[in-house]
Amino acid sequence: MRGALSLNPTYYEALKRLTLELAGVTLGSDHAFLVETRLSSLSRKEGFETLDEMIEELFNTGQSRLAVKVVSSLLERDTHFYTDRTSFDKVENIILPALYPIHKGGKIRIVSFGCSSGQEVYCLAMALDKAKDKFPNITIEIIGVDYPSSALDRAKAGRYTHFEAQRGLPIRDLITYFDRQAEDWVVKDHIRDSVRFEETHLLSNLDSLGQFDIVVFRNALPHYSSPAQVRVLRGLSTLIKPLGYLLLGTGETLNHINYGYDTLARDPNVFRKREEKVQIIEDPNIKKPSNRKTFEKTKRRLKDMGDMHQTKSA
Amino acid sequence: MSVKTCLVVDDSRMIRRVASRILKDLKFETKEAENGQDAIERCRLEMPDAILLDWNMPVMDGLDFLKELRKEPSGRKPVVVFCTAERDVLKITEALDAGADEYVMKPFDSDIIESKFFQAGLI
Repeated sequence: MRGALSLNPTYYEALKRLTLELAGVTLGSDHAFLVETRLSSLSRKEGFETLDEMIEELFNTGQSRLAVKVVSSLLERDTHFYTDRTSFDKVENIILPALYPIHKGGKIRIVSFGCSSGQEVYCLAMALDKAKDKFPNITIEIIGVDYPSSALDRAKAGRYTHFEAQRGLPIRDLITYFDRQAEDWVVKDHIRDSVRFEETHLLSNLDSLGQFDIVVFRNALPHYSSPAQVRVLRGLSTLIKPLGYLLLGTGETLNHINYGYDTLARDPNVFRKREEKVQIIEDPNIKKPSNRKTFEKTKRRLKDMGDMHQTKSA
Repeated sequence: MSVKTCLVVDDSRMIRRVASRILKDLKFETKEAENGQDAIERCRLEMPDAILLDWNMPVMDGLDFLKELRKEPSGRKPVVVFCTAERDVLKITEALDAGADEYVMKPFDSDIIESKFFQAGLI
């Protein structure tokens, strides 16, 4: 049995509210024991003597930069190579064959949201490298997107520990696409050069990313609160070109909301955007995303939380 | 469905114990051998579904064992997962060329063993 959480319960509740507000994600009971380990490490990196000191600084000053780091650290996902291999097979065997005749001679743009430490992005790049003879005369651009975090920094470096490299990655892929450097394995240049990573919040304005032919968003949706799920899915639908695809994780659905997709009968988690523009019915209670407003609101909220905590402590 | 069997071949008793415990958690029935010669004799008596194989062992090493195993006339071809401290790419390639299906570099943990056995179609 796990030990009791020693973090001040008021702090934990405040962190839960902060994460919900900033990222739309509800921290479950399984996160409680991650909070201390992850935030203790972050507090050391940020130069604080103790975790409590960092949290007090966060709630007393309402620093957006620190708030984003705390939330990113809490939401960092432990990802493996080829988590649910069938998804990569779907990209190669269903989605690309459908898109190839449309884009032959041009470019197909793929984005992986919530890419964490980059394994999914590199798996896509490796899978497409192996299939390149099936899809000649086409450029494929792959972008990984996530919150700014140490995981995303690792993704950009393409460097994985001995243990990370062996979790999910077949040995033939490891020796074909990675070089051993001391105890680590580093993605070879031609694969690393075929991908890039962007720091963007899923609930912020995503227009700057441009439009994509394939959006991969797997195994993250259930962590979002219901209103945030609607915002995320609506945001993603605006990024997908007509006849482009959204690939969710196994068992994940659009929750009966019509975002302008057709479902592929044999693959319930693959959605194809319709050719015609579809008017998405807006929920008046859900505001459109804006980076500036989100952070300003969070700052005020953090300040309130700090005041509240000080009042309780007094 | 019958329980799958795995022969753990390693000259270290501790490694055999740790690997066997992980494999039992993955619902394998395990047997142990402490070198390649011991392993080939066990395989001739009863061919397992899988073999977790160390490289450097006395009497007969893992690579020689694998070459002997692949010459066996038995119709059953067990899945062989190397589990060794050898990390050199040339050594890994040599093992794959000799007929290894997957390759684990020590040190390992239960996630790695599960992942490799999954990739090899054993789970």
